[in-house]
Amino acid sequence: MSALGSSFPRSGYVSRSNSSGLADVLDVLLDKGLVIDIFLRVSLVGIELLTVDARIVIASVDTYLRFAEAVNRLDIGNSEGEGLPQLIEDMTQDGASSKTKGILEGAKESLFGSSGGEDEDEDDSNGSSSSGSSSRRSRSGSSGSSASSGSRSRARKSSSSRGRSS
Amino acid sequence: MPHYVYGIVGADKKPPSVRGIADARLKLVAGDGAAALVSDLPAGEVRLGRAEMLTHARVLEKALAHGTVLPMRFGVVMSDHDEIRERLIDEHADDLSVQLSEFDGKVEIRIRAVYEEEALFREVVRADPKIAALRRSMGGQPEDATYYARIELGERVAAGVERKRERDANEIIGALAAVALAVDEGKTGHERIAVNASFLVERDRIAEFDKVLDAIAEARGGRIKFKYTGPLPPHSFVQLAGSA
Repeated sequence: MSALGSSFPRSGYVSRSNSSGLADVLDVLLDKGLVIDIFLRVSLVGIELLTVDARIVIASVDTYLRFAEAVNRLDIGNSEGEGLPQLIEDMTQDGASSKTKGILEGAKESLFGSSGGEDEDEDDSNGSSSSGSSSRRSRSGSSGSSASSGSRSRARKSSSSRGRSS
Repeated sequence: MPHYVYGIVGADKKPPSVRGIADARLKLVAGDGAAALVSDLPAGEVRLGRAEMLTHARVLEKALAHGTVLPMRFGVVMSDHDEIRERLIDEHADDLSVQLSEFDGKVEIRIRAVYEEEALFREVVRADPKIAALRRSMGGQPEDATYYARIELGERVAAGVERKRERDANEIIGALAAVALAVDEGKTGHERIAVNASFLVERDRIAEFDKVLDAIAEARGGRIKFKYTGPLPPHSFVQLAGSA
């Protein structure tokens, strides 16, 4: 694929991948492209879990409290520059920060983690994150059996919902 | 024997030399003007997961390197050559040939712009003096005494985040759209994601597109990080009449 790309220098703030960086194109592969009949799409094991990252609701008390907490931690006094390094360190250790990462990465891990699509519960709780808690559930905790036994019906469900939405 | 369908290419093409799903050899089922890029699937229950998705993406990537390809959505399985010819290639012959030429020399580039959290909140606070005032008014009080004040503060922050996202998204998408042929804006979903969009770009103009993106990224000095995926086949821009 690099043959198609260009070679001049890039901003350090842009990271690149082609389709082997699959996590970034999952929604495209699942929701976009030619399809002639939705029912021809067969058992997509665990893949509907990916839709969770679209489920975050900004207008909720939990979110407000989390935002308030994040803002309260900011050093917005007169010595803005000074407080910065410490602040960044704080924010990285902060529960809110790790949780938002969890939301972004959770869907990927559910597909790309070694154990496949086993963590439906976890993604539910990620979506409705409570404030401050730094606990990220361990991904190996839940059993994989529910995912595989339920895959057939869930695959069908997700297919039809995609059909409606597009 | 069931066939997995990856995409549509010109009838004169050859299948890429990589292996398909279930390690099967890729082949073309050619009809009038267009051919389906497919591989045999083992009979019985077909399960498609992570590995198959990766294969789907790689096959299309290879096909794109050889020329135009109209990608199928992941997970399309058809029963045999006759069905592929009749229900896909012949039934949609006009649509397919129009799009094969329409998307010739064009690729999809997907851009996701994500705020650095600390910078995001800092800018939101700066833009709304009331936030700082609210914060000061809560100073030193115990947590339970400030519950409603914190909600009010958070609400203002959320509104500020929303305004900022909208402004940044407009600027970023506007600038990139100027060097693209089309844009498909996806859901951003998370508060830290400012942009999640696909751009249809002429291959000849990829360098130009990249340069614009670089400039946008540099101008924001790391407050927004960009994730660039592509070139991809034009997933977000192809469509068959009458399909979902």
